[in-house]
Amino acid sequence: MANVRLENVKKAFGPVQVLHGISLDIASGEFVSLLGASGCGKTTLLRIVAGLEAVTSGKVEIGGRDVTALAPEKRDISMMFQSYALLPHLSVAENIRFPLRMRGIGSREQQQDKVRAALETVQLGHLADRKPRQLSGGQQQRVALARAIVSDPQVLLLDEPLSNLDARLREDMQVELIEIHKRLKLTTIFVTHDQEEALSLSDRIVLFNAGKVEQQGTPADIYAQPATEFASNFLGSANLVAAEIGTDGSATLADGQRLAVGQDRPAGKVSLVLRQEDISIAPEGAAGLKATVRTRVFLGARCRYILDLAGERVQILTGNDQTFTFGDTVSLSIDPARIRIIPR
Amino acid sequence: MSDRTENLLLAAPGLLLLALAFFLPIGQMLVLSVDGPEGATLAHFSRFLGDGFYLGVLWRTVRLSLIITVICALIGFPLAYIMARVGPRARLWLIILVILPLMTSVVVRTFGWVVLLSRNGLIPELLRDMGLAGRTFALMQTETAIVIGMVHVLLPFMALSILGVISRIDTRLEEAGRTMGCSFLQTIRTIVLPLSLPGVVAGSLLVFTLSASSFVTPNLLGGPRLQVLAASIYKSVTQTLDWPFAAAQAVVLFAGILLVLIPYVRLTASDNG
Repeated sequence: MANVRLENVKKAFGPVQVLHGISLDIASGEFVSLLGASGCGKTTLLRIVAGLEAVTSGKVEIGGRDVTALAPEKRDISMMFQSYALLPHLSVAENIRFPLRMRGIGSREQQQDKVRAALETVQLGHLADRKPRQLSGGQQQRVALARAIVSDPQVLLLDEPLSNLDARLREDMQVELIEIHKRLKLTTIFVTHDQEEALSLSDRIVLFNAGKVEQQGTPADIYAQPATEFASNFLGSANLVAAEIGTDGSATLADGQRLAVGQDRPAGKVSLVLRQEDISIAPEGAAGLKATVRTRVFLGARCRYILDLAGERVQILTGNDQTFTFGDTVSLSIDPARIRIIPR
Repeated sequence: MSDRTENLLLAAPGLLLLALAFFLPIGQMLVLSVDGPEGATLAHFSRFLGDGFYLGVLWRTVRLSLIITVICALIGFPLAYIMARVGPRARLWLIILVILPLMTSVVVRTFGWVVLLSRNGLIPELLRDMGLAGRTFALMQTETAIVIGMVHVLLPFMALSILGVISRIDTRLEEAGRTMGCSFLQTIRTIVLPLSLPGVVAGSLLVFTLSASSFVTPNLLGGPRLQVLAASIYKSVTQTLDWPFAAAQAVVLFAGILLVLIPYVRLTASDNG
């Protein structure tokens, strides 16, 4: 276990600047997610921590030691790849023993004990002698995880490890990752483009946009208080609606509808952040904003409506007690205290 | 039409060509090798196997082919790895460079080596000037000359066979190796080499068979004293006009190659399961 410190890390591939000076402090034992769209530089940053990519300028420290110029094998890290990168010519047990063998950790018997323990952790003890290609995607993924944790690295790097799994397996693995992290307390850096994954797994989320840190904070903070339009957009479930704050402090939408926003704001053009679960829906005629139903998505316990509000697409999440269909006009109401306002 | 007949139809031209151009002459060769004045005889074989000179020729052929194969693999593997990992433009140039020897006539290429390796040629001169070799040092008409000339021609077969396999190896496996504590060379040894073994085997088979049956290069660079089997067959056909004996030698060559190759393929095939 060790902390990781990045100091003004910049990276350019030829003329393309990928990372514009990232500084980040990751505490020992912390689980940090790097969240962002593809191409935002999050994977590059992870590869820089691993040593697979050299920095253009800046400094990387692991456990207080400057490792900027160190080869990957000399940093005490382990990495789990999106494609798992299991060695096809070795059995499952040999794959998991590989980092121990290469780093010369323990005697052969000790190594085999560790392999057995790691296989038990991911519940694959019965598949030790199989070759990777005889396993399903989910099993391969567990083997990759076992291989990543077996050598007790100082830092565990996870590069979108769950993105190739179907939804059910992904949820199982999320739980497993949380439990393993709780037990081993490894400093973990987790790269993902899936906001739900980031929210459910991490102690801290670092949101990336175009090679810069857009915002960072605990999942609860970053979800409740996205600081910028990009952040609220990326954290998916929020709707952004253009509006103008009038002199009386209420907001006017593009089609002239008005709503109270409960905050003192200087007049001017703004974006209202309306979280999908904060909006309640009622039949036409009730007080509130008028909107038209476009689509209804049945989700089992709940229901998602896609609505047309003042010419913009708005999603809401609601119970199943009343149903509306395509073309219905409905009334929307929102607690003014839960509306966030981002200047434009 | 069933799939089976369709497949057979597709394979027919190839099979026909093989039958006409390969199996027929081989059959004829087999018949000719046991041909004697009073019906079938094994006299040609016993003459070959009873004569120390011819056994020496056979041994030299197999030994040189093995040396050439090993050297080609030793040079070809790193070359193929570099070709697989550089950019596409550099790879194209490397491939052109590697197959260039195949684009020139075998005679021209071999005479090129004759010029370079002869007593007053560039390479012996250089070695003598640098004090690395004595005054009487010569390369022409030695087995070294044969090996140099043959490696030059056969390297592309090895390098391209291995290149095909290495370029299909996911580079992330190597990166994973590095993150698991392998140095670069350990990654090559524990990951790239085992995974590219099929290419090494295929290349070795090609190089070994081609060098065992080659005739022009060993003949010109090794001279008449250092005969290989193919050259000896040629002599029997054109100079002593003893065709049945030539056929017997060809059968021995054929059998010798099979004897080396079959265990080799068996041995390596089991590793790649």
